[in-house]
Amino acid sequence: MASTKETYRVELRAAARQLGERGLYSAAKWAAELLVGIDPDGTPAPSAPMDTPSSSGSAASGGRLLHLHRSGGSSFRRRLRPGGGASEAGTPLGGVSYVSTPIPDDDAFDVGADKYLLAKTYFDCREYRRAAHVLRGQAGRRAVFLRCYALYIAGEKRKEEETIEHEGSLGKSNAVNQELVALERELSTHRRTGAIDSFGLYLYGIVLRDKDCEGLARTVLVESVNSYPWNWSAWLELQSLCTSSDILNNLNLKNHWMKDFFLASAHLELKMHEEALKRYERLMRFFRCSDYIQAQIATVQYSMRDLDEADMIFEELLRTDPFRVDSMDVYSNLLYAKESSTALSFLAHRVFLTDKYRPESCCIIANYYSLKGQHEKSVLYFQRALKLNRKYLSAWTLMGHEFVELKNTPAAIDAYRRAVDINPRDYRAWYGLGQIYEMMGMPFYALYYFRKSSCLQPNDARLWNAMAQCYESDQLQMIEEAIKCYERSANSNDTEGIALHQLAKLHGMLGQSEEAAFYYKKDLERMEVEERQGQNFVEALLFLAKHCRNIGRFEEAELYCTKLLDYTGPEKETAKSILQGLKRAQSGYPSMDIDHFAM
Amino acid sequence: MNVFAGVGGGAVGKEAASVGGGALLEVTPHKLAVCHLVQIFAPPPPQAGVAAPALPFPFESVAHHNRLGLFLFALTRSCEDFLEPPLEELLRQLKAVDSLVNGWLCQQLTSTLSVLNSPDDLFNFFDKLRGVLSAPEGANVEDEFLDPNSQLGVFLRCCILSFNTMAFEGVCHLLANLVEYCNSSETSYDFAEDEAFNSEIEMSNFMDANIHVRDAIFDKYSKGYAPESHMGEGSSSLVHASTSLHDFDEGIFKAEDNPDCLRSRWQLEAYLNQQADILEKDPSLVPLNSFNATMSQLQALAPELHRVQFLQYLNALTHDDYIAALDNLHRYFDYSAGMQGIFSRSSSSFQDIIVGKYESALLCLGNLHCYFGHPKKALEAFTEAVRVSQMNNDDSCLAYILGAISNLLSKIGMSSTIGTIGSPYSLGNNIGLGTPLSIQQQLLVLLKRSLKRADTLKLTSLVSFDHLSLAKFDLKHVQRPLVSFGPNAYTKLRTCPADVCKNLRLSSHVLTDFGVDGLSASSDNGSFSTSWLRNLSAASNSWCSSSTKSRKVLTNDFDNFHFHAQPSPIPAAVLQLAGSAYLLRATAWEHYGSAPMVRMNSLVYATCFADAASSSELSLAYVKLIQHLAAFKGYSAAFSALKLAEEKFPSTANSHIQLLKMQLLHERALHRGQLKIAQQICDEFGVLSSSVSGVDIELKTEASLRHARTLLAAKQFSQAANVANSLFSTCYKYNMQVENANVLLLLAEIHKNSDNAVLGLPYALASQSFCKSFNLDLLEASATLTLAELWLALGSTHAKRALSLACQSLPMILGHGGMELRARAHIVLAKCHLSDPKFKVTEDPCSVLDPLNQAVEDLQVLEYHEMAAEAYYLKALVYNNLGKLDEREEAAASFREHTIALENPYNEADSLSY
Repeated sequence: MASTKETYRVELRAAARQLGERGLYSAAKWAAELLVGIDPDGTPAPSAPMDTPSSSGSAASGGRLLHLHRSGGSSFRRRLRPGGGASEAGTPLGGVSYVSTPIPDDDAFDVGADKYLLAKTYFDCREYRRAAHVLRGQAGRRAVFLRCYALYIAGEKRKEEETIEHEGSLGKSNAVNQELVALERELSTHRRTGAIDSFGLYLYGIVLRDKDCEGLARTVLVESVNSYPWNWSAWLELQSLCTSSDILNNLNLKNHWMKDFFLASAHLELKMHEEALKRYERLMRFFRCSDYIQAQIATVQYSMRDLDEADMIFEELLRTDPFRVDSMDVYSNLLYAKESSTALSFLAHRVFLTDKYRPESCCIIANYYSLKGQHEKSVLYFQRALKLNRKYLSAWTLMGHEFVELKNTPAAIDAYRRAVDINPRDYRAWYGLGQIYEMMGMPFYALYYFRKSSCLQPNDARLWNAMAQCYESDQLQMIEEAIKCYERSANSNDTEGIALHQLAKLHGMLGQSEEAAFYYKKDLERMEVEERQGQNFVEALLFLAKHCRNIGRFEEAELYCTKLLDYTGPEKETAKSILQGLKRAQSGYPSMDIDHFAM
Repeated sequence: MNVFAGVGGGAVGKEAASVGGGALLEVTPHKLAVCHLVQIFAPPPPQAGVAAPALPFPFESVAHHNRLGLFLFALTRSCEDFLEPPLEELLRQLKAVDSLVNGWLCQQLTSTLSVLNSPDDLFNFFDKLRGVLSAPEGANVEDEFLDPNSQLGVFLRCCILSFNTMAFEGVCHLLANLVEYCNSSETSYDFAEDEAFNSEIEMSNFMDANIHVRDAIFDKYSKGYAPESHMGEGSSSLVHASTSLHDFDEGIFKAEDNPDCLRSRWQLEAYLNQQADILEKDPSLVPLNSFNATMSQLQALAPELHRVQFLQYLNALTHDDYIAALDNLHRYFDYSAGMQGIFSRSSSSFQDIIVGKYESALLCLGNLHCYFGHPKKALEAFTEAVRVSQMNNDDSCLAYILGAISNLLSKIGMSSTIGTIGSPYSLGNNIGLGTPLSIQQQLLVLLKRSLKRADTLKLTSLVSFDHLSLAKFDLKHVQRPLVSFGPNAYTKLRTCPADVCKNLRLSSHVLTDFGVDGLSASSDNGSFSTSWLRNLSAASNSWCSSSTKSRKVLTNDFDNFHFHAQPSPIPAAVLQLAGSAYLLRATAWEHYGSAPMVRMNSLVYATCFADAASSSELSLAYVKLIQHLAAFKGYSAAFSALKLAEEKFPSTANSHIQLLKMQLLHERALHRGQLKIAQQICDEFGVLSSSVSGVDIELKTEASLRHARTLLAAKQFSQAANVANSLFSTCYKYNMQVENANVLLLLAEIHKNSDNAVLGLPYALASQSFCKSFNLDLLEASATLTLAELWLALGSTHAKRALSLACQSLPMILGHGGMELRARAHIVLAKCHLSDPKFKVTEDPCSVLDPLNQAVEDLQVLEYHEMAAEAYYLKALVYNNLGKLDEREEAAASFREHTIALENPYNEADSLSY
């Protein structure tokens, strides 16, 4: 094991250096973090210390009208800007023999080395065009890459500027990275002649992605990560292109240990939480001190609504790395859901001092204000976050929630809609849209949105409940459809227990007392298990008592009535009268009930 | 004299202002060019004291001057595309205007634009422009200057203002775009090349590489790439590849050469409206995918112009793409809540016509479901729409929704009342009557309510629509009072043609009243300018292609500017409504049984309203004309007309034409006795309709009617009677009384042909009384005729009665009936005479022979073998009685011919062709 770790160390060390030399800062950062995260050899590795599978009871649901508020809040950033190092990862499968990939040697000392040095310093000073200019005519692969990369970044920078400059009355015009055409031409030639290294392939991949050639981009990126697996940015790009598990499974990837990080992260993004968690826990064996994996595990657990566990991990993370901003937006969502405003304010203060101009920071502060009920301010900070990153998905959705609180429905609809247009698979935004329309008294119109969201998340009881509530609303009164939805909900582990009760009630309304009794009984069982009692409990008992009496199962009826006697209120009286009625009925027709005589 | 003073006048100014704060037009190279031309058109006035020349410098005549003015006007109004035309295009059009001065304008324009090399040049350019607008000191009224409130004046002012508010970055972009704009034309215009080239060199000296984007790319390319290919490592294939790649990229650059500059907002909206009109008129003209591609391109350029999504919705709708239509509908309303106006046809915002907000989303959703044949969902959407619009006090939307509901109810057959019409909560309350109403009564109440609302809100288009719907209702339904007081309340159980007529007449008032309704107040929607420009370029193209010799011949080339498009004072939507009144009139006469009136009204529609009509309505008019032809001129004439119609409307795309074709083929097959073919066509008919019950009810009725008739022709009487009976009960269920008259008559026929005259009599009588109460005069005559036949079948003692019945029906039949009906009447007449024992052929042969000859003539044209054989048989009998043996033999031979033809239908193969 130690030798494996040593190999990892060697590989990562080289990778961090090589990536850094090429200006791929976030990938270098990631590699270096991982390098430090490798379990030191001396201590015997306890078997999977962190993988206490977290299923500790019910997650405290956010105390907010929109109970879907903050789940799975990781936005995916595809921007490849230095500093914006997104951190999401994959998982190693223990026991699988990995393909060892030789660490490529850098270009040996060549004539251009000095010029490269100069160009790199320009690059570090963010003078990209200058850097590219210095390297013109250099044929070394490293030089070619840095030149192209510098051009790409320069083009991106210019694009951002233009987007703002062009903003007209009809919205921004389509600013494009002007370098893409030339870059694609050059890189494709290199690729065809084989004069390209994996870094060049990575750059080619993102150029292709920007030009909307997704298929080819995937192929090229796979080539890149197969030849140089330590470039985490390349994996991330690849992940952003894998929008469904089919695509993911069809990738032709070499079985390097980095692939596990990739798969875990991709699974998380595709909401396959169990798989992701398993992979991360296995990776923990080697990278026990890795903050990255910890953060990812916390995110998974948050997505699985295991708030306490996730909270612990995040706290630990912040203790070891107090200036961390990555993934902290997820933490803030978590704290929001737990309604711990003090902790949230600490967090907000800390990230504010660390770097206030990061979308995550703005989002955290916005969350804080939202929790405090200051929705205007919250909107302001969400807007700031969106200014910094227009594709910050969860910020759009959360801002939609804030607008709902502010009763500004058109703005809320707009915000949700933008989230949906950025990622049509964001079921929370669809759900939000549906809720707004339902609130506006348009249940039929809202159905479309609920249908969309439940189509994306077919096992989420909350969505089915929402849809059913639309169907059974006063305006629609489509009871049968509502029953179908509640059945789905009851089958997908409805923790809030709405479905069973409603099913029973609706069947009762339709006069199908057999079905109604069946569901009331189930509901009773559930409530007894959860030790919850209340109006629903009484209602169920009363119905069952009456029903059993009507169909002649007097003993059962008696049982329910006696249970009812424990409660106060009019039901108690009803129960009493039923009991008397039962006695009378039993004594009136003694021959029918032999057991009675036996008593 | 103010140049173009008052053109557009204040309205334009108001419009430009009302478009909203940020919606000033953005300065683009194309607009710079237009500005420059305006400057030439109306040069800044000279200093006081210097006498102004009568005409500005390059112009030779007032006509020439005005032509440029018209051209510029059209340029600022045309809505042919959403992108601005490249310089090349502009120059080509300009040349057509400019021929008199040998391209001086073009040269002037290109040289001026290419001299603009630095931001400072642009500042000076706009400074000079400002001079155009300011009246000189001490100017006389006669002095020529540009009225700042004219169309061009407003345009100029908008440009100047937009430039003044522009940040320095914007100026840089404008400059970069300008260079691209000029370069795009350099290949085709030699005289521009030198300067453009020079300017490029200067540019690279002056400007930051960032601005001169294209050059920067090329520079980098040559610097970064060229040395590499000299390295020697590149094999020949590398070099090869590089050149081919280079070519490829040239292609890309060509496409990107012209900067993507959007036209002004007004033009964009006019463009979208125009596209929507085309979609509505004839969706087959718009290919689904390429239109979507165009729209998404536009959306990429203007993401906040949400109306594009509405067009995408329309596009998907008209191409029957349910999912895409639904998605785009929701997206559009999510973004804009309809505030960008589906109903406002022009950007001028009259307060009363913006029916924005979510209730209109529901209205559209309901219409979508109605279109796709989901009556229940449609009704749910409409009820919700009613509720929401009541909640928001949106009366005009409510009026539209009521109209839409009545449209749905009239379109879709609903058997029972309770349960279908949404929750009683909304509509029931809405109607306000406790008693359950039949669908028809609900429909009537809704229509009247909608009409009343529309009337008070002055929504003339809706008023007209409601009148049309009421006419449709009156045509087919007896209006019964909702509540009748007293036991003997008089109810007249007849439809009232006068009501239909009145409603149709009232609906045509839209033609005179449309000004009031903001909806239709968009007489100038840019289409005139568009077609003007289009004609211009067509003219100039033909002119360019002709040899240079002709150029000199055409010194007075005013013909080149002759164009056919006249700005129509009446908006297309209004014309469409007025036209449908005529179409409905034709249908009404079809019911009431006057063929000439049907023909006349259809002709009026096809000639006067063809421009505005949608393809489906126009084809309906054609269908009526062709049906008329088939009834009066026989099948060959009808089929040749059908061929012409099919050229205009491909039968695969147009259901009306397709149906007509099948109807004609079916009838001809029945007449010819080709029963297999007839059955085959019947089956095809059955497939056309939707399987949802209540949807396509008319089509289904017709299919089973034809099925029964085919069975009747095949002499399978009991089966035919079964089909007819079940059809009757369906019609009864869906309250289709008019169709019932037809079915009853068919039942009578079936019993007549199966020699059960006694059974047939009640059906015929019932049909007659139905016809009476619905004023179906021609059908009634034909029922009377059947009655006569039935009496005749009961034995010769009833011949007298039969004769009187036949005579009674004759005036109507001979006046309005088709050939088949006439022939039948003639034969019945002859048969009545012949079977009358008191009648002597020898005394009055003409009274028998004349009708028979008439009948034979008509039947020959129709190729109706069975009846022709009967007529010839009768003729032979008569001649036999008269002792005219030759004629008898001739008639007998003809009889034989037709009988054989009937029994051995020839040419089965080609009977599906025509």
